[in-house]
Amino acid sequence: MRNRVVITGAGVVSSLGDSSVSLQSSLCSGRSAIRPVELFSTAGLGCPLGGEISLFDAEKYLGRRNLRPLDRTSRLVSSAAQLAFEDSGWSEVMRSNEEVGLVLGTMFCSVHTISEFDRRAVEAGPAYASPMDFSNTVINAAAGQTAIVHNLRGINSTISTGTTSGLQAIAYATDVIRSGRAKAVLAGGADEMCFESFFGFDRAGLLCRSDHRAGDFPIPFDKRRNGFALGEGAALLMLEEASFAHERGARLLAEIAGHGCSYDCLQGDDDGAAVAAIALSIQRALNDSFTLPHEIDCLSASANGSRLGDRHEAHGVFTGLNGQTHKLPITAIKSMLGETLGASGPLQVAAMLETMRDGVLPGIQCLQEVDDDFALDLAGPDNKEIDVQAGLINSVGIDGHCCSLVLARCDVN
Amino acid sequence: MKQCRIVVTGIGVVTPIGTGRELFWSNLLEGRSGIGPVQSFDTSAYNVHRGAEVQDFRAENYLFNLDAAHLGRASQFAIAAARLALADANVEIASLDLKRAGVSMGTTSGEPREVERFDDLFINKQLDRVGPEFLKLYPSHVIAAHMARELQFAGVNMMIPTACAAGNYAIAHAFDVLRAGRADLMLAGGSDSFSRITFTGFAQLGAIAPETCQPFDRYRKGMIPGEGAGVLVLEPLSSAVRRGARVYGEIGGYGLSCDAHHMTAAHPNGDGAVRAMKQALDQSGIEPEEVSYISAHGTGTATNDRLETLAVKRLFRDAAYRIPMSSVKSMLGHTMGAASAIEAAVCALAVFHDRIPPTINLEEPDPDCDLDYVPNSARERTVRVAMNNAYAFGGNNASLVIRKCESSN
Repeated sequence: MRNRVVITGAGVVSSLGDSSVSLQSSLCSGRSAIRPVELFSTAGLGCPLGGEISLFDAEKYLGRRNLRPLDRTSRLVSSAAQLAFEDSGWSEVMRSNEEVGLVLGTMFCSVHTISEFDRRAVEAGPAYASPMDFSNTVINAAAGQTAIVHNLRGINSTISTGTTSGLQAIAYATDVIRSGRAKAVLAGGADEMCFESFFGFDRAGLLCRSDHRAGDFPIPFDKRRNGFALGEGAALLMLEEASFAHERGARLLAEIAGHGCSYDCLQGDDDGAAVAAIALSIQRALNDSFTLPHEIDCLSASANGSRLGDRHEAHGVFTGLNGQTHKLPITAIKSMLGETLGASGPLQVAAMLETMRDGVLPGIQCLQEVDDDFALDLAGPDNKEIDVQAGLINSVGIDGHCCSLVLARCDVN
Repeated sequence: MKQCRIVVTGIGVVTPIGTGRELFWSNLLEGRSGIGPVQSFDTSAYNVHRGAEVQDFRAENYLFNLDAAHLGRASQFAIAAARLALADANVEIASLDLKRAGVSMGTTSGEPREVERFDDLFINKQLDRVGPEFLKLYPSHVIAAHMARELQFAGVNMMIPTACAAGNYAIAHAFDVLRAGRADLMLAGGSDSFSRITFTGFAQLGAIAPETCQPFDRYRKGMIPGEGAGVLVLEPLSSAVRRGARVYGEIGGYGLSCDAHHMTAAHPNGDGAVRAMKQALDQSGIEPEEVSYISAHGTGTATNDRLETLAVKRLFRDAAYRIPMSSVKSMLGHTMGAASAIEAAVCALAVFHDRIPPTINLEEPDPDCDLDYVPNSARERTVRVAMNNAYAFGGNNASLVIRKCESSN
């Protein structure tokens, strides 16, 4: 008998608010975080737009302490961790008595830190490279720094599977608790907005070419979509073994009923293979959670406005849910947050927790005309009132990774 | 409920002392060193100049579907190790249900050379020469992604970049995936390429030895950065028996912990290391005195050698003095994210052949390091249980138990 896994809190640092409540309220009021990037110059790049967190200040969450060793990614993660502990009622004393784990999904951790460290060594000479920065060049730096800030001595893993990293990290942590290896694991993901990754996506031709002055933004599933905007953020969920959480009197927000993943080894080059991989990931999540397609009350899609990715997902969801998508309420919050990479899946989960609580599924901002052959009749700009017993979260990567997760209303009590 | 048993049936390695299981193992037992002058880049601006690089590597020999020009060096190593492991396991790809064939890999830096190339162009104000390939070549997940694309593996695809313990993390994850019934067969291991960034960082920490790697020696002067890949074929015992596969050993269990103390220095009491080893033994149902070999993290820095020795003594007590513990990094250098994967291969080979590779360059032991480090020559001894220790930046500790597969039911 496997252990059941529940979510007892969320820590969110996003361009649309620093709690799941404020995120949901921004999403439901149709606010978009996407605007011209200010963190660095986009001169010479094709896309000037991004969803950055303006005026992010880690001291607001972590108080006055020595944050100098932490780069932006580590600060985002440590802040989200603090918020998740507060939200779930995990005090410092509890953390010193119980080993809490951390599983972090991130695509880059900090390619900015890595690149700066290297450039300094090349330009000024290796003797001028900073040993402190070197410790942040490893891809598990943010997980390590956060463990130090919050005294997390349990399992400490970093997962990198592109834009699916964060959801995959939650799946990984779920199995860690299911198999009895840990009682409490903080799981989620993060990526920062920085020039180096932005440049890579821009050069790859994946970013939107919309004229924002005309009010055009990346629009998931819309006929006019032409790429995505890059975003940033961190979101961590407090996952606990159900009876342990119940005994400590924790508030149980939802249960992770199951998850699944698959890999499109043609990496999107073949439509049929890409659709089949997404469908398989969804079917595996349904099987793992003993859920039937018609029992899924809504979908939080991975769609971000990319020409190909959104098409594959629309068809993959149709196949994965046995064609039962015509009446499926659907949201795609990357329309407002942008593609936050490692943070994206966990932010979708955080927003879904709020939808379960307040019964409102955010609309897809700016969506006017769903592409012709997408069987997603209920996709649109308006919020929907729904009662969610089971919600499906989908995450699809640019290099073939697929991950799906079923979130269920908690009936453990 | 009886847990499904997971075994190692294939080994593929690309290392500074040889590519392929047989050459690697014989060089290891002979105590060959793979350390020499760095050739990957000009080290004249540094005060250290030696590394452990993979020589004469021909990626084309292993690529049937992908083009080497579109792959970073770590991905090329990983694919080569994967092809070698599958051939070693006598697995025909055509016979697999590819949707249930997965990849779980570890790395420290992913494809650092791609970002180094970007940096050179950035400095020379030539970013206009960077095209769409940067995003396809650089992010660390491309290692596992390229392996899957080359081999058409459509199941689980995981990249676990937990620095210098990453190989053990990736193998541990594959073990869990198989036990949970999420795959039929997993390729698991680690890969890293020799990197300017890594070399610069360790040089700045004063951690690189000027000449060679001498773990546990009184006059040791540090670690030697290296590169390589190690990949294991893991599958349930039942499937190995069904297809009549050679079984090197069985994964007993693993332990993972975090020091939560310092990014680059281990906990002074070795607490995290002790917890990881203890968990690995408990999960495997093994008493400390049953362990017949420990593959040390053994980087060759004074701190590592002393703390690892202390941690082993704290857990194993008197038995610590009876358990041989060697560091193959004395020969291979520190192959970063590949290290613990290659060392897991060493453990599997040790339990299969009942041979223990030596710690070379160990002339005069450090007085604080008084265990049996198998100095300078390989040893024959029945190896029923091997423990593979790995420690990493971020305070990450990972211990893996590989044991003889003694009954097949």
